[in-house]
Amino acid sequence: MSTAAAGARTDWDIPEYAGEHHQELSFLRRYVFSTDHKVIAVQFLVMSLVFLALGGFLALMMRWQLGFPGQPMPGGSVLPESMAPGGIILPEFYNSLVTMHGTFMIFFAIMPLLVGVFGNLLIPLQIGAPDMAFPKLNMASFWLAVPAGFIMLTSFWVEGGAAGAGWTSYAPLSASGDYTGVYLGQQLWLLSLFILGFSSIAGAVNYITTVVNMRAPGLTWFRLPLTVWALFITAILVLLAMPILAGALIMLLSDQTLGTTFFLPELGGEPLLWQHLFWFFGHPEVYILILPAFGIVSEVLANGARKPVFGYHAMVLAIAAIAFLGWIVWGHHMFMSGMNPVLGTTFMVTTLVIAVPSAIKVFNWLGTLWKGNIHFHVPFLHAAAFVSLFIIGGLSGIFMAAAPVDIHIHDTYFIVAHLHYVLFGGSLFAIFAGITFWFPKMFGRMMNTLWNRVHFVGTFLCYNLVFFPMHGLGIEGMMRRLYDPTQYGWLAELQPWNVFITYAVFGLVTFQVVFFVNFFLSIWTGRKAEANPWRANSLEWSVPSPPPHGNFMAMPTVYRGPYEYSTPDGEEDFILQSASPRESERPPSDGTRSRAALNEEEST
Amino acid sequence: MSHAAAVHETRRFMPGFGIYNAKLGIWVFLLSEVMFFTSLIGAYIILRFAHPEQFAAPGAVLNVPLTAINTFVLICSSVTMVKAYAAIAQDDQAGLKRWLLATIVLGSTFVGVQVYEYIHLVGDGFVANASAYAAEGGPLYGSTFYLMTGFHGLHVSLGVLALAWILLRAMRGEFSSKRLGGVEAVGLYWHFVDLVWIVLFTIVYLI
Amino acid sequence: MQGNGETAHPPYLFIWGVLAVLMFAKVGVSLVGMARWMSVTLLVMISFLSALLVALYYMHLRFEPRKLWVLAAIPLPLIVILLALVMQDFR
Repeated sequence: MSTAAAGARTDWDIPEYAGEHHQELSFLRRYVFSTDHKVIAVQFLVMSLVFLALGGFLALMMRWQLGFPGQPMPGGSVLPESMAPGGIILPEFYNSLVTMHGTFMIFFAIMPLLVGVFGNLLIPLQIGAPDMAFPKLNMASFWLAVPAGFIMLTSFWVEGGAAGAGWTSYAPLSASGDYTGVYLGQQLWLLSLFILGFSSIAGAVNYITTVVNMRAPGLTWFRLPLTVWALFITAILVLLAMPILAGALIMLLSDQTLGTTFFLPELGGEPLLWQHLFWFFGHPEVYILILPAFGIVSEVLANGARKPVFGYHAMVLAIAAIAFLGWIVWGHHMFMSGMNPVLGTTFMVTTLVIAVPSAIKVFNWLGTLWKGNIHFHVPFLHAAAFVSLFIIGGLSGIFMAAAPVDIHIHDTYFIVAHLHYVLFGGSLFAIFAGITFWFPKMFGRMMNTLWNRVHFVGTFLCYNLVFFPMHGLGIEGMMRRLYDPTQYGWLAELQPWNVFITYAVFGLVTFQVVFFVNFFLSIWTGRKAEANPWRANSLEWSVPSPPPHGNFMAMPTVYRGPYEYSTPDGEEDFILQSASPRESERPPSDGTRSRAALNEEEST
Repeated sequence: MSHAAAVHETRRFMPGFGIYNAKLGIWVFLLSEVMFFTSLIGAYIILRFAHPEQFAAPGAVLNVPLTAINTFVLICSSVTMVKAYAAIAQDDQAGLKRWLLATIVLGSTFVGVQVYEYIHLVGDGFVANASAYAAEGGPLYGSTFYLMTGFHGLHVSLGVLALAWILLRAMRGEFSSKRLGGVEAVGLYWHFVDLVWIVLFTIVYLI
Repeated sequence: MQGNGETAHPPYLFIWGVLAVLMFAKVGVSLVGMARWMSVTLLVMISFLSALLVALYYMHLRFEPRKLWVLAAIPLPLIVILLALVMQDFR
């Protein structure tokens, strides 16, 4: 630090604003072992996009097996004999595919995309801070996530293959390799998630401390953008839920390696204890995967509709209510586990209560759009798709929350459809909204709008073609994690649907390639972005794209809330949170497009 | 330079809880530690509740008097730690080093006694491995005992290392009544570990 | 930050004495052959009191802003929820 001279040393390095320091960092310090939250956000983005692609690739292989069971996969002969001899997927390998698809998507794609990328990018920028409270801890958080992902990936090539007990790794199936034939792979799975837990908790400590302590003057709790609120509450969930998983992982790992007997019934253990601990972590985890998406969507919808978010306080309270209720509903994953039925009823009631704050959020989103002057930019399209798909996912959730209905559809393709409607239709569409919205802030360039729209339309169509029919398959009784549906007569009749879904998946994957190519090309060849391309209010849009190291030249002051759109006075229909009341009569600062210019551009 | 220093000082009192980042950060981290020990101790409570026949009466297998003394050692280490903090809060450099050293000695003693206890327990057939379990009670007893006390011992050992690092910095004269964040943060962690042991000792050895 | 300058510190040694007495009281309770429910209740209460003393005085929670109290109390209901509900399943 430049302040290492005598007298200025502090116990911890406090991040500095851009105007307060001037130092050149080496390439390694700037891009690899960076402590700058924006660089770490981009690192998380690249890492999780790689794992997203990988998870999608695993799903593609699963879909091939389901659509064309027993037929050699095109190009599958490159896989080793232990996975797919002659390109035909082995049942054991299919188990690994199911498990690792879920694990990669949840822990290494959606979670780092929402929490790692947007948490890192938005929290300091939107609260007017120069960086996170603990920049080095932030760096450690990323560099723990990478080896965790690497360990998870390498487990495919160890003896016995990767973990095959499902992403939930229910004991005793996962507690002894004798059941699945997977020994080291399951242990690496546990180890990898344990390391990832450290990464997540380090991030959560950082986010909470930063939001509490490093807000700019004037940025009161109820002037925070909803993204910050959502990420803050998510960080609390991560902080309190991940250690529960860590404890459970340790017990399972010691059952595997040290001969203990926590979850092994033949030696006196309790397999149900794993389910309870896993879902006590797992249900807050579900909200970790959706709450930041709520925040992103609120932000983008208000921007597109050019209106304040309808019911800001209700939105905040709904997020908090969902986060709290998330701790007392975990048993609804276990209706079929042989749990005490009285307890099952309790969990059913608490689960149904969650519909209330969720519905409040949906109605508020619709209220935000109502009579808005809507600009259908690409982030808005994704956010609107989020709302519609999340409604479908939420409604199918109510089916499974009711224990009597769940008994029929538990562990069928109905749950597969439901969870993809909230995790893909929900979280991933919000992630697309977020990436396209904040891409200029991350890279200083705009993504190509035309190809972005192609990606949106194609994804939305193919997505529904893939996942909507799964509801029907589930009700007809097609089991989740099933290797070969044609082995049952009643499912063999439905095989055309599986073939159809597999073809739709080919389309879905193709459109994701469009996105990936557009994303990486735009980083270098996109049109240069101005400071505030979406004419939004929050603090990150008051600084250049991308912001300099230290973000703001000096500590900004905040005068108003984040959603002051359609302000009646002034030439523009928005007003930056940091614009002083005395400056509000001035024309917008340079680097901002006028309304006329934006309308002209949209019409082309 | 004086400008930069002034900025640093003002930024410590930004909107928020009115406590500096490192202290808030360590508190937040301790909340996650609470949940971690909840999962371990909770598993023990639930398993014991479900299978009482697998657990022996207090003192039947475990050495309660020895561990009571060990608990007392850990409580003493907590008071020496807080004394170290009180010393540096009054710019008493010698006192800081003296009390830190005492804390390290007491903490190491605790870990040493625990290792001694482990060796004897394993000799009596009280092991974590279910198929080799030969003591009173059942294999769940050994599994849960070593899980909880082992992870607590790991935390104490890490705390001793952190204290050694703080002592090293204290020897270099890095702390003063204006700069004692490091002492306070490690102190908070140390007291938390003590607090967990108070609960563990009761639940594992006495109930 | 409390304790800057001349202000008095909390009675650290007194608290230490109380903690030691409580600790040996617990051992005593477990040795005296009283009814099990009674000894368990007593032991839980005494260790809760000891833990509270450590948090309030050694961890200085008593002298911190009340917002930190709220933060520090967040895990407590979760612990109760986890134990209470899961134990229902193993009755």
